[in-house]
Amino acid sequence: MQFQSQAVAKPYFIAAIGLFIGQILFGLIIGTQYVIGDFLFPEIPFNVARMVHTNLLIVWLLFGFMGAAYYLVPEEAERELFSPKLAIALFWIFLVAGALTIVGYLAVPYATLAAVTGNDLLPTMGREFLEQPTITKMGIVVVALAFLFNIGMTIIAGRKTVINIVLLTGLTGLAVLFLFSFYNPINLVLDKMFWWWVVHLWVEGVWELIMGAILAFVLIRLTGVDREVIEKWLYVIIAMALITGIIGTGHHYYWIGTPEYWQWWGSIFSALEPIPFFMMTVFAFTMVNRRRKEHPNKAATLWALGTAVMAFLGAGVWGFLHTLAPVNFYTHGSQITAAHGHMAFYGAYVLVVITMISYAWPHLQHNAPASNGRAQLLEMWSFWLMTVSIVFITLFLTGAGILQVYLQRVSDTPLPFMVVQDKIALFYWLRLWTGVIFFVGLCLYVYSFFAKGKETLASS
Amino acid sequence: MNGQTDTSVPGQTIAVAAEALYLANLLLLPGFSFALLLWLFFRHRRNGAPLARCHLRQTVAASLWAGVILVIVNVLILATGGYQSANVWMYVIIYFTVGHSSLILLGMVGLAKAMAGRAWRYPIIGMQCDE
Ligand code: HEM
Ligand code: HEM
Ligand SMILES: [Fe+2]
Repeated sequence: MQFQSQAVAKPYFIAAIGLFIGQILFGLIIGTQYVIGDFLFPEIPFNVARMVHTNLLIVWLLFGFMGAAYYLVPEEAERELFSPKLAIALFWIFLVAGALTIVGYLAVPYATLAAVTGNDLLPTMGREFLEQPTITKMGIVVVALAFLFNIGMTIIAGRKTVINIVLLTGLTGLAVLFLFSFYNPINLVLDKMFWWWVVHLWVEGVWELIMGAILAFVLIRLTGVDREVIEKWLYVIIAMALITGIIGTGHHYYWIGTPEYWQWWGSIFSALEPIPFFMMTVFAFTMVNRRRKEHPNKAATLWALGTAVMAFLGAGVWGFLHTLAPVNFYTHGSQITAAHGHMAFYGAYVLVVITMISYAWPHLQHNAPASNGRAQLLEMWSFWLMTVSIVFITLFLTGAGILQVYLQRVSDTPLPFMVVQDKIALFYWLRLWTGVIFFVGLCLYVYSFFAKGKETLASS
Repeated sequence: MNGQTDTSVPGQTIAVAAEALYLANLLLLPGFSFALLLWLFFRHRRNGAPLARCHLRQTVAASLWAGVILVIVNVLILATGGYQSANVWMYVIIYFTVGHSSLILLGMVGLAKAMAGRAWRYPIIGMQCDE
């Protein structure tokens, strides 16, 4: 660790992994409820558990991004963080607010939660991914602004690298776009339209900047390739991400009541969205192949390359699969969507956060460039277990989706929704068992942090 | 690739070719690729380098298993109502998501190992490699 204040990243990473475990446990609960309808009913209904699953995902990724920023920004800016105290205070505020929200979801019916948190004063609740009570949303905004202030001040006072500027732009975009979660028009078309400004413009816009910056930071350290080379790649990648992603929002405007021209704009621009993801793959492999040193942290290299490949598969390939309007006409809102959602979120954002943790953790915990060999071996096993599992989860959901679309929407004698769900239950069972293996991989990952090696490592 | 891996182990080219043909048989050119693979196998079966023989044995065995699985799927379809029945899609998709993709996964790992100049036995369906 080059700067003392980078240490504030540590609690953020720990919280991220803790909430990741929670996310997967709830994933297993809803996965079970898919095949055993009254599992845990009425204690934890499906809609509640689903909300916990997806919200935990978003919250732990945000913890991961913030931790990554606290670790990365001082090192890039070559100075201490503006205020480590503020960073720690924000950590606790965010963690407590997040925990209270989850407890709220689980303890009282959603309508009660809405009532007691004053949703009618400024109604923002009840929309997928944005289910948080309005006061939680306000808390998120406050935390985000104070966080941006903290890293912004650090960057202004220090060295301004391309990586820092791209990261700051991405994080600012994340905060600004979240403000649209407060805009909740009565008109359902407008509601949906702006809902996507948060959801789509996050994952297919500003989060790509964050991802690019983190990958670039880690790859510079792991490979020793010149900063100038990596910065050029980064410029082109983020330019492509924004050029395709912003108008690509149109791929969600096909059937929600927006004008028909969106079928053209959405199809054409979103069909180009795989380009930045593909470039990230080429970028990562080129850098690793041109490496000028052998970094001892092999696990971090694996996670970084894994991110590059899986993001392209999940977002690029599985996204393209259903993004053209004539295809989406049939697949919209089916299990194909869920298949894509799982592989894209895992491949791009779960993996990029773990890449950062994998690179930073040895510095934070052992003041060494890499963990011991056994810990790294376990980490690599967990990578393969989780990655192969998500690939199979995606394949099973894709299989379920193809059948669902065919039986329910394409066939001459379409069957009702629930009849079809019954027919494809086998895929949901397979998904569930694969999910269990995913969870085993995750446990192994957690265990790798505590694994002691045979040899002792010299500290850096 | 960097300098280190360029200095290849004896038999590495054939090992890589075996894995590549195996994958091509599953993904691009079924049949034709398998024929080429068999030809390679019989040429190098006895006196090829150990690395080449190891990868050839894995890929031929796995290709044969792929054939067996295909037969099983078709027998199942015939036994449960024939190719016109509603179950066909179910079996076909299960085959692709479980069987075919697992075989591809083995091939990908095998190819990576071959490119790294290492022997690797496919779990469960693979065959013993010598030394
Ligand atoms: C890492 C990046 C990405 C992530 C995390 C992601 C995630 C998601 C998620 C979770 C959904 C479901 C939203 C809902 O609940 O309705 C979704 C929908 C969709 N995504 Fe992505 N996505 C990414 C990139 C892409 C790309 C690059 C494309 C196109 C090439 C794409 C095309 C689509 C389409 C067309 C839908 C709508 C599906 C429907 O109509 O039901 N996505 N995405
Ligand atoms: C143990 C493995 C997992 C299981 C069993 C599981 C199960 C589920 C289920 C049953 C749903 C609800 C689908 C519906 O509403 O019909 C869901 C939604 C979702 N899960 Fe998972 N999940 C798992 C892991 C993950 C992981 C690792 C991620 C992210 C990286 C993730 C992200 C999501 C997202 C984004 C949605 C919303 C999808 C959409 O709206 O299309 N899940 N999951
Ligand atoms: Fe999108």
